[in-house]
Order: sequence, then C-alpha cells, then structure tokens
Amino acid sequence: MPAFRSIRTRRRKKKLNQGFELQLTSLIDVLVIILVFLLKSYQTSLNTLSTVEGLQMPISASQDEPRDSLQVIITPEGVTFEGKRVVDFLQDSGSAGATEGNYKLNESDMDEGGRRIVSLFNTLVSAREKSELLKAKSPVRDANGNPLPFDGILAVTADKRIHYDTLRKIMYTAGAAGFKTFRFIALKKET
Amino acid sequence: MLRRPSARRKAGSEQIALNLVPMMDTFVTLIAFLLYTMAFIVMTHVETPLPTASPTEVAQKLKEKPLQLTVSFRTDETEIWSPFQKITSKKIPNTPEGTPDVMAIHQRLVEVKQQFPNEKQVVLAPSGSISYDSLVAAMDGIRMLDATDPAIIVKNAETGVDEALKLLFPEVVFGNILSND
Repeated sequence: MPAFRSIRTRRRKKKLNQGFELQLTSLIDVLVIILVFLLKSYQTSLNTLSTVEGLQMPISASQDEPRDSLQVIITPEGVTFEGKRVVDFLQDSGSAGATEGNYKLNESDMDEGGRRIVSLFNTLVSAREKSELLKAKSPVRDANGNPLPFDGILAVTADKRIHYDTLRKIMYTAGAAGFKTFRFIALKKET
Repeated sequence: MLRRPSARRKAGSEQIALNLVPMMDTFVTLIAFLLYTMAFIVMTHVETPLPTASPTEVAQKLKEKPLQLTVSFRTDETEIWSPFQKITSKKIPNTPEGTPDVMAIHQRLVEVKQQFPNEKQVVLAPSGSISYDSLVAAMDGIRMLDATDPAIIVKNAETGVDEALKLLFPEVVFGNILSND
C-alpha cells in the first residue's frame, strides 16, 4: 500500500466527505400521481356491514347506500346473525365443490309447516327485545316523549346462488320476529 | 446592500435547495390515511317491505280495484299482470340460460308505467327455484329507468311542476312470503 496518496485520490475523498443530496423530485412526482389517483377514486363507506370469505354477492345498479342495521348473512354453509352462526344448512356429498348453492334446511329446525326457522326466530326476537330495551333506556324520545320505536330493518347479505325458497323462509322468520323491512345487500355495479 | 467584491462574484451562482422533506412527509401521511379509510368494495342495497294485509285493506282493494301490478317469476317464463285486469297480461319466456328476460320485462314495465305514471309499486311472486342473483337483476330492471328509456313525465303534486321520473317502480314487495307454494 503506498504511503502517500495521489492528489486525485485525495480530491475524490474530499468530494465524498462533502455529503450528497438525494434527488427527491422524481419521488415527489410519483407521490403526487398516487395522491391524485387516490383522491379521484376515493370512496368511503358509512356502514360496518360485513361479508365473509367465499360469499358471492349479486351485483345491483341501485344507488342506495346501505346504513348500519342488524345483519343476517346467508352463506352456502349456514345463516349467521351479527357474526354468530344460528342455522347450519344440511351438507351432503353433493355440497362439496358444488357450483349451485346447496341450501337445505333440517326439518327439525323448522315449524309452522316448514316456513319458520326456529333458532333464527329465537335469535331475532332476542335481538329485537334488546334493541327495544336500549331504545327505552335511551334519552332520545319522540315528540310525545315516548321511546323511539324499533326500526325493524334487517340487512340481508346472501350468496347469489341461494334460491328464493330459502330466502323466503328467512324473510318469513324475520317478519314473524318483528322485522318489517329487508335490505338486500349487493355489490354496486360500476357505471 | 453593498457586497464585498469577492461576494459579488459568487452571488449569481448560489443555488437554493428547497427542503422537500416536510412535503414528502405530508404526502406519505395523506396516502396512508386515504388507503386506510378507503372502501374498496362498494355496497348498495335494494329495500323491500314485508307485505301486510288486513281485512279492511283487502275490502278496500276489492272495492277500488287498483292496478296492483304483479310480476310472477316461474320456472320457464315471467308473467306481468294485474289481478283486476287493469292491463293486458303478458308472458315473457325465460332466456336460454333459464333466467328471467330482464330486458323484455323492463320494456313491458316501461309501457305499463306510461299508462299508469303515478303507480309506484310492483308485487313480486317468484317461484321457489329462482336464484337470488336473478331476483336482484330482475328487481333492478323493475326499479330503475335506463338512460335509453323514453322520458316519463309526471306532475309533482307539491310543486305542480312537470318532472321526469328517475325510477320506474321503486317500491318492490314480495307477495308470496306468507305462502308455502
């Protein structure tokens, strides 16, 4: 190793020690483009309605944005109310990998001539009672000073392969439990 | 201010380095916020009330004989009819895929709407085997007016001004929830 470094080497070292400036212009260009894109396509959701993995939702051109309400989710495996499984559909050999939804209900789960699903009815009734109790305790009152009535809105998030026969039983059960309005949740069609 | 000769010589060549770091911080924070709060799946809903029937309502209907536009979805066709024969019943065969012909149903309903512009409600009577997907598609065809549809003008009862309707039959009711057929 030489004892003395050349003038050129010393100059190069001095230049390196001066520090360097990072070229941020191109990075800022990218950030601005991303920001503009995000702002252009930005959309928020006013609800906390959930879906589950594997659920194939129908597509609708409706412009109504769903608001928060009690929610029932119908998957090929069963019916879930507010995150809790309340009904299991019968699974047979044809259910595995089936392209058509297999939504057979156990006869023992039904009453009223096979129209009402007992476990779902009980769950919905207790949900209604809980909601009514909360409204009774709430300081929010109507013009006459009475507690606000139970709104009776049920959001139905169902797999698109479900047949109306099953849907009708769920609607009948919900109607019997005091739910008077159904909101069928769908994916919004892009226009 | 008068500068020294040495300073005067260097004055023109000075470069101002803009401090971009705070701006980058802002951008990165904004992008993170937007990504975090953004809804990637946009949901919508179709609302339908539970049908109600009281003896007085039934008696009133039998007396008044309203349109009560009904769309019956069957396994091979769709029928658009009125229980009180206010319109000519029309049967529309399903598509080769076995789903209701939404376009044809929509066209027929536009004709009915032109006859009865103040009517808002349609009663659905689907068969048990119709899929939810077909049902939602049919409900869209029943509720929505397309840009290519002829304008349907109705006088606003409150303002007295003629207005073009934006929806075809916005109120959709399932008429056979209580039945078991």
